[in-house]
Amino acid sequence: MDFIDYYKVLGVPKTASDDDIKKAYRKLARKHHPDLNPNDEEASKRFQQLNEANEILSDPEKRKQYDLYGEKYGKDWQHGEQFEAQQRQQQQRRAPGAGGGAEYDFQDGFGGADFSDFLSSMFGSEGRAGGGRRQANFRGGDYQAELNLSLRDAYTTHKQNLNLNGKTIGITVKAGVENGQKIKLTGYGVPGTNGGPNGDLYITFLVSDDPRYKRKGNDLYVDEEIDLYTAVLGGEKIIETLDGKVKLNVAPGTQTNAKVRLKGKGFPIYNQADMFGDLYVQWQVRIPTSLTDEQRELFQKLAEL
Amino acid sequence: MTTQLISVREFCQYNRVETTFVSYLEERGLIETTVVEQIMYIPFEQLPRLEKFVRLHQDLAIHPDDLDVVNDLTERLESLQQELTSLRNRLLFYESR
Repeated sequence: MDFIDYYKVLGVPKTASDDDIKKAYRKLARKHHPDLNPNDEEASKRFQQLNEANEILSDPEKRKQYDLYGEKYGKDWQHGEQFEAQQRQQQQRRAPGAGGGAEYDFQDGFGGADFSDFLSSMFGSEGRAGGGRRQANFRGGDYQAELNLSLRDAYTTHKQNLNLNGKTIGITVKAGVENGQKIKLTGYGVPGTNGGPNGDLYITFLVSDDPRYKRKGNDLYVDEEIDLYTAVLGGEKIIETLDGKVKLNVAPGTQTNAKVRLKGKGFPIYNQADMFGDLYVQWQVRIPTSLTDEQRELFQKLAEL
Repeated sequence: MTTQLISVREFCQYNRVETTFVSYLEERGLIETTVVEQIMYIPFEQLPRLEKFVRLHQDLAIHPDDLDVVNDLTERLESLQQELTSLRNRLLFYESR
């Protein structure tokens, strides 16, 4: 993780007073708080950064360290004091006559360790996440996940396993879930630190299109072909629905794009047991493209009538 | 059907809020509680809502009196987001035809 200029994050100059920092944090926190920006991942990330900035700059000791070593040591600024001490020791060892003159590499002093995130080292791996409303007592961050479903999957209530950071979570997907719909599983996010509450898990459902059925809200649309003779004279047609087969009467003189509504044969309504939208069948009249001589003759007779 | 409950005292200890905060929200109809043998409990399904109020109060210093308005607005925002999702899906329906 690169060095973050916390003054920039809070939009205050380096000379800002404690009061200025507090005010800036309050103002920005109100703007980016995850509870005021539901389903906005960007706001959530920004809020975490604001918390980090506030955590450091509102603590005089941490701020002093950050000011002293931030620019010099970048993301490892919190170890600045140790680096400096190490440097001093090395300089003493390189006293006149000792030769050498090698450049000091501060990473050597720490076994070349890469400090991924300063808050990780200060508060543990989840310290940077979430609320941060109390010193070193953090609500865990939220997880965001996506779950791909086919339209037919979304038609029925079913259980599905979700793999999250190597952990399998079984969830019940309720029938009628819509593309882009988000659900929250409270407490399934990053565990809280020092007694802070766990974060939440947000799952977005991505429902893919179906080659046969088109969905609009809770209604389904399907195109069905009928031959010319059924369209002209009327008849019956067996239709495949997501709920099984149904027999439909075709009225005589049915035109292409004429619609028939099958009440309650559409998509299940989310969170409403046994409630369904409608299925609209749109007739597509198939005109014969190659006629036998006899057919042609009969059509000509019809045309002359 | 059983309802899981957590005592207000336990919730407040864990979240470091005064019990009066929860009573205040309950009096204003923002959350529902239940009393069993003179002890006030919070039903589990109310927890996400209550936790949200606690976060808003502690993180942003929003006065309990104002939580009502903030809650109304965020609920409206969420409902508009849902409507937007639904309209996007409808648009997709027409575009794919």
